[in-house]
Amino acid sequence: MVPYDTAAIPIANPPASSSSSTTISKPPEIDGLLAGAGYKVRSSDLRHVAQRLERLETAMLNSPSQHLSLLASDAVLYNPSDLSTWVDSLLSELNQSQSLPSLPSDLSDLISNPTALDASWMDQQLSPPTAAIPNQQPSQLTVVEEDSGIRLVHMLMTCAEYVQRGDLSLAGSLIQDMQSLLTRVNTGCGIRKVAGCFIDALSRRVFAAGGGGIPGSAYETEILYHHFYEACPYLKFAHFTANQAILEAFDGHDCVHVVDFNLMHGLQWPALIQALALRPGGPPTLRLTGIGPPSPDGRDSLREIGLRLAELARSVNVRFAFRGVAASRLEDVKPWMLQVNPKEAVAVNSIMQLHKLLVGPGLDPAHRPAPIEAVLGWIRSLNPKIVTVVEHEADHNQPVFLDRFTESLYYYSTMFDSLDACALQPEKALAEMYIQREICNVVSCEGSARLERHEPLARWRERLGRAGFRPLHLGSNAFKQASMLLTLFSAEGYCVEENEGCLTLGWHSRPLIAASAWHALPETAAVSPDVAVVGGAVM
Amino acid sequence: MAGDNEVNLNESKRVVPLNTWVLISNFKLAYNLLRRPDGSFNRDLAEFLDRKLPANTNPVDGVFSFDHLDRSTGLLNRVYRPESQLGPPTAPIDLENPLSTTAVVPVIVFFHGGSFTHSSAGSAIYDTFCRRLVPLCGGAVVVSVNYRRSPENRYPCAYDDGWAALKWVKSRPWLCSGKDRNSSDVHVYLAGDSSGGNIAHHVAVKAAEAGISILGNILLHPMFGGEERTESEKRLDGKYFVTVQDRDWYWRAFLPEGESRDHPACNVFGPRSKNLEGMKLPKSLVVVAGLDLIQDWQLAYVEGMERAGNQVQLIFLQDATIGFYFLPNNQHFHCLMEEIKNFVSAA
Repeated sequence: MVPYDTAAIPIANPPASSSSSTTISKPPEIDGLLAGAGYKVRSSDLRHVAQRLERLETAMLNSPSQHLSLLASDAVLYNPSDLSTWVDSLLSELNQSQSLPSLPSDLSDLISNPTALDASWMDQQLSPPTAAIPNQQPSQLTVVEEDSGIRLVHMLMTCAEYVQRGDLSLAGSLIQDMQSLLTRVNTGCGIRKVAGCFIDALSRRVFAAGGGGIPGSAYETEILYHHFYEACPYLKFAHFTANQAILEAFDGHDCVHVVDFNLMHGLQWPALIQALALRPGGPPTLRLTGIGPPSPDGRDSLREIGLRLAELARSVNVRFAFRGVAASRLEDVKPWMLQVNPKEAVAVNSIMQLHKLLVGPGLDPAHRPAPIEAVLGWIRSLNPKIVTVVEHEADHNQPVFLDRFTESLYYYSTMFDSLDACALQPEKALAEMYIQREICNVVSCEGSARLERHEPLARWRERLGRAGFRPLHLGSNAFKQASMLLTLFSAEGYCVEENEGCLTLGWHSRPLIAASAWHALPETAAVSPDVAVVGGAVM
Repeated sequence: MAGDNEVNLNESKRVVPLNTWVLISNFKLAYNLLRRPDGSFNRDLAEFLDRKLPANTNPVDGVFSFDHLDRSTGLLNRVYRPESQLGPPTAPIDLENPLSTTAVVPVIVFFHGGSFTHSSAGSAIYDTFCRRLVPLCGGAVVVSVNYRRSPENRYPCAYDDGWAALKWVKSRPWLCSGKDRNSSDVHVYLAGDSSGGNIAHHVAVKAAEAGISILGNILLHPMFGGEERTESEKRLDGKYFVTVQDRDWYWRAFLPEGESRDHPACNVFGPRSKNLEGMKLPKSLVVVAGLDLIQDWQLAYVEGMERAGNQVQLIFLQDATIGFYFLPNNQHFHCLMEEIKNFVSAA
């Protein structure tokens, strides 16, 4: 048993094979090793962070353990990746709790003030918006099937390769093989169901003249949307998380205005109206502007929903006004239609809408400015207190068809799996149809017909940063409440994760949707920290 | 810490690089917040704080990963594989063919640390570590097990999950390899750090009893203990990120309620331990950090294993602290990597 002495050992060689993709490049001043562990600290800050950690340790040691437990349960904490801010916010929480005598638990909300440091200001200092976009987003597969479902996957991939190569006759015959295999295989569960959707989508792409998605009226879309809302937690999570952030951003404002980029049945808003009604100090005056497609048959469905919401608001004594803006596409909306009053606190709410404004990457941006830029521009011009954004956490906008196909196969398999785990309900079949429409759009549509151009959070961060928005971090309270929401579902496996101030909801280890919140720095403001601290909505 | 409020912070800072110190201190303080004096654990905040990395079927530095969920048990395993030199990069994951029909490819079943309570297979520090093992061991496959954690799931849940994972791994045709088609088998090593090392030991014992072949055990400062306060625990208490008090908390959280640390899960060669003599346990590589306060228990483990007739290779790293292998910025890290490589490649 010879103790091994610490002799000099040559550094292990990196693998000889060339890597096909590189890890995300970061600003050179960030410590690369800590970044790999999930923490962003500038190398030049390390010593300072270390000192603060020492101070924090001393403070914790001098704190009675019930204070520590209280801090852990009640303090709202943000963005653990940003170590510097994180340590400072813990120190500040501890100092506050120590300056007060030991409090009974019902005064705990006095302890958990939002931190004095505006998290968004720290972000502005730390990372300039022009971070390099990673070459390839993580392509993830959760739940790998090992039985005959795998054969279908192989065939799907081969078929997609034929399509990629332009070998449509080969693709067509493989589609027929797959369709016959499907009939022999139990389509009740697993990857076979999602395989059915992809086979159908490929079939439309290959056989339908001019390719094409599944035709359907706005009314049908609404029905399917409603069932998707009921059958699984994704939309509820989106609404819940966004409402939480909006509620906090509206704190202290008496006139508030929410602009909803896709009203649908207004499912998101009753909860916000009720939360505002219960606000200490009384509710503000709430205006809601709902954007949606025009109704074909002379009905004004937007107005109908507005009336229902108004009825609810009246019943809880919230002064409420509704305006509907009918537009087939978001880019057709002009800011003057929203009639925003400069004295109002404005929240812009976009649930799965922004990606429809993207164009195919690689298209010449000088040819036509992408609608996303124009829309982000006018959102900014409204000077919103908060912009809540929820998007699919996937890269379905890749230029190469095969990449898009592969990524979406994995993504929707996971989503179908999560749906499968929920109790059998009437909503499930129609929810699956809702998802099937998305799949069809991603796989069989091109050009302006392809609306489902999902891009991952990292890319949205970059894009919104370039457009002049700064993150408002979603904190541990939103995380905790979202986790509690999930326990209402019988299915174990839904997973909320914190991602540098944003929250994602996924199935097991695969995030499927990402929620984030933003605010715009006033366009004429000088870039001075003081202005940002005062102007930023402290959450 | 026995009422001693003075903290010897300078000592730990002198023996590790600054970024490592920041990393481990941050864990330490966050974990202090999460453990409650009544034995409960703030799991919500823990999940909020855990920095995770997703699986990635796109190879990064020659390694890709994917998650597998066993529907019957709800157990998640993350599989790391070397990038295939054949076939297009977007080919679906091959779950049919063996890893090789001309060579033995080791499959390392890895149990992450966290004192049975913290972290997951998806934690960034462990995802990164597992990725390193793939090219290090000549293109080995690593399966990282997302075992159930305490205090919500006490003994024997972690061991049950480890055992289930081993059985799963052993029964995958796509993890088989061999010099020719007739000698095809899944060639398994068990590995783990801290509580993961403890799990690896107990799973290896169960495997030996069931006649399942394991080629080797790699235990990285494995978590063992006992009622007695050893000399190293007294000498190093609170000096290098870890305290006796926190060790006690984690054992209380893992062991059945009311049990003492002489429970055989914890004190493997103690008064209540199982007799391991005659059991054909695999060869072990045991790495002990010289600044780890539980080293006396780990050294006793090595002695006990040798007395029972097993082959043990001890690596004692004089001034290594716990967690030295998280960041590749110190000589202990590189030493460890070399030893693991040699251990796995030796016939």
